[in-house]
Amino acid sequence: MNKPLRIALTKGRLEKDTVALLESIGYDCTAVHEKGRRLILPIPDGNMEVVLAKAADVITYVEHGVCDMGVVGKDTLMEMNGKLFELVNLGFGKCKFALATKKDYPFYDGFGVKTIATKYPNVTRAFFENKGMDVDIVKIEGSVELAPLLGLADGIVDIVETGTTLKENGLAVVEDVARISARLIVNTVSLKLRQQEIENLVRKVEEKVNDQTNHM
Amino acid sequence: MRRYDLITPEGTRDFLYEECALKRMVETRTRQIFKSMGYTRVITPGLEFLDVFNLNSRYFPQEELCKLTDNKGRLIVVRPDSTMPIARVVATRMKDAALPLRLYYTQPVWNFAPSLKGKSTEVNQTGIELIGSSARMADVEVISAALSVLSTVGKDVPKPFPVQYSLELGDVRIFRELMHRLSATPSLKEEIRSLIEAKNYPALNDVLDQLGNNPITSSLRRLPTLFGGEEVFDRAAEVFRDERIQKILDSMKELYRTVCSIRKDANVIVDLGLVNKTDYYTGLVIKGYLEGYGEEVISGGRYDMLLSEFGYDVPAVGMAVNVDAVAAVIGRKYTPHPAPADVLIVTEEGCEALAVQKAEELREQGLCVEHALRPEDAEDYARSRNIPKVLLISGTQTKEVDIHE
Repeated sequence: MNKPLRIALTKGRLEKDTVALLESIGYDCTAVHEKGRRLILPIPDGNMEVVLAKAADVITYVEHGVCDMGVVGKDTLMEMNGKLFELVNLGFGKCKFALATKKDYPFYDGFGVKTIATKYPNVTRAFFENKGMDVDIVKIEGSVELAPLLGLADGIVDIVETGTTLKENGLAVVEDVARISARLIVNTVSLKLRQQEIENLVRKVEEKVNDQTNHM
Repeated sequence: MRRYDLITPEGTRDFLYEECALKRMVETRTRQIFKSMGYTRVITPGLEFLDVFNLNSRYFPQEELCKLTDNKGRLIVVRPDSTMPIARVVATRMKDAALPLRLYYTQPVWNFAPSLKGKSTEVNQTGIELIGSSARMADVEVISAALSVLSTVGKDVPKPFPVQYSLELGDVRIFRELMHRLSATPSLKEEIRSLIEAKNYPALNDVLDQLGNNPITSSLRRLPTLFGGEEVFDRAAEVFRDERIQKILDSMKELYRTVCSIRKDANVIVDLGLVNKTDYYTGLVIKGYLEGYGEEVISGGRYDMLLSEFGYDVPAVGMAVNVDAVAAVIGRKYTPHPAPADVLIVTEEGCEALAVQKAEELREQGLCVEHALRPEDAEDYARSRNIPKVLLISGTQTKEVDIHE
């Protein structure tokens, strides 16, 4: 028997959605449900192993090839910029990157350099570079919404799901930066060396995902 | 002031004992292969003018180059690649040499890697360049060198072990041909290229949707999916209904079959979606993979336009081996131990000259001889270092002692 195919999942909601997806195409994920504190879990009938990790680590593990595949949000992929194959848009974990400011704030007015607070400096830099706009970027670890309220930044670039947090804090979206959803990523060498196994799985996943989008 | 006198810069490291021995093992083996194929070694300087790497086609991103200035304020880079300096040498000092030229190198290259990603800035490479021929046999020769390197991994150790390897063939001309006929802005074309490289099917489809549905966009959609074994050529023939592309595919298929029959056990794969950004490649591209290593260990291809950028219009093909990667793969299964000396010579004060003469005499016979620096502990030292024999020299007397555990 070959080494099991190792797939890294982003812990939390994406993990649940992915496990549901894997189960719906016939994989036995009992071990993942009963994981306790274990981080590597077998999927016996699929000759697969699930690894649970933080989003950014999923990319690192897949890029280095210690995991063959991974499921991770486009947000983290955009921020990390790894060298890997991004095969399938899984359709779940949907949200967006957006630029937000205090409501009715004249963000694009004037000639001063604007300050942006964000957890995603690379995404922010790329977005404003595309506009040919010079901005100061401040990296914030926690609730980014605070920065414009406290007067540290003119705006924020952050993930927006429903917009409720923004609204409750008197902020509003100025512009969408990018749409986000979960992606199936594959190590560049694994795809070549284990093509059949991976393509098999990818085909099943794609069918399911297309099915679901068609029914929505 | 913070001092950094005890560490090496990120992405670089010291090679000690095992790592050093493994690296040497790979270098020695590849050198043997290259030399036996008629290649001669060249050494290019570690420092080059930035301009060498900053040609019209801009192959190297600024942020990855290690830059310095010379004493006249000109920009210098620490060599990020060996092929371009070799192209420079050939186009200048070797311009009158008879072609083809077969050159090989074993030297590091430096590219700043993104921080804290476990990637090296300094990578030891060894590779060949076959310059002055566009013959099919030249491609086959370089591929066969790659196969020889891949197939000997794990074979130079006391207990040889098998390492699965794959050799991948591609051809950038198919992509170029399609892009040439696509009407889109350069930045959109670059986006399409990067999406094909990342096999990002969903995003590629979105971008191509904007450009409408025509034979070119539908071919581009399929391009990254065209990888695998020989069946890829049949699938490709259905996708590309075009004479020029079909001609490229036919010659690739023939090459594929040739390569497969060189080594029956070799796993040869094809990927028509190999389209790297920093490539100077103009046709064939090759990559070599080893089981359990997350990126390619060999990369190469045909670069027929590169030398003309240095003013010498000749075709060329080559490939480079990532020595550190191959050494790491061997190192997972085998730890080299430095061989102990054969003889330890112990001498009294005043008899040093005699001891050195005796040592040289033994070394002539092919033995490894060490001098004891603390005569009083010589036997303990020999025991601890597994040196089987101690030679005592006093006056004109020599006495042999066999050391047993």
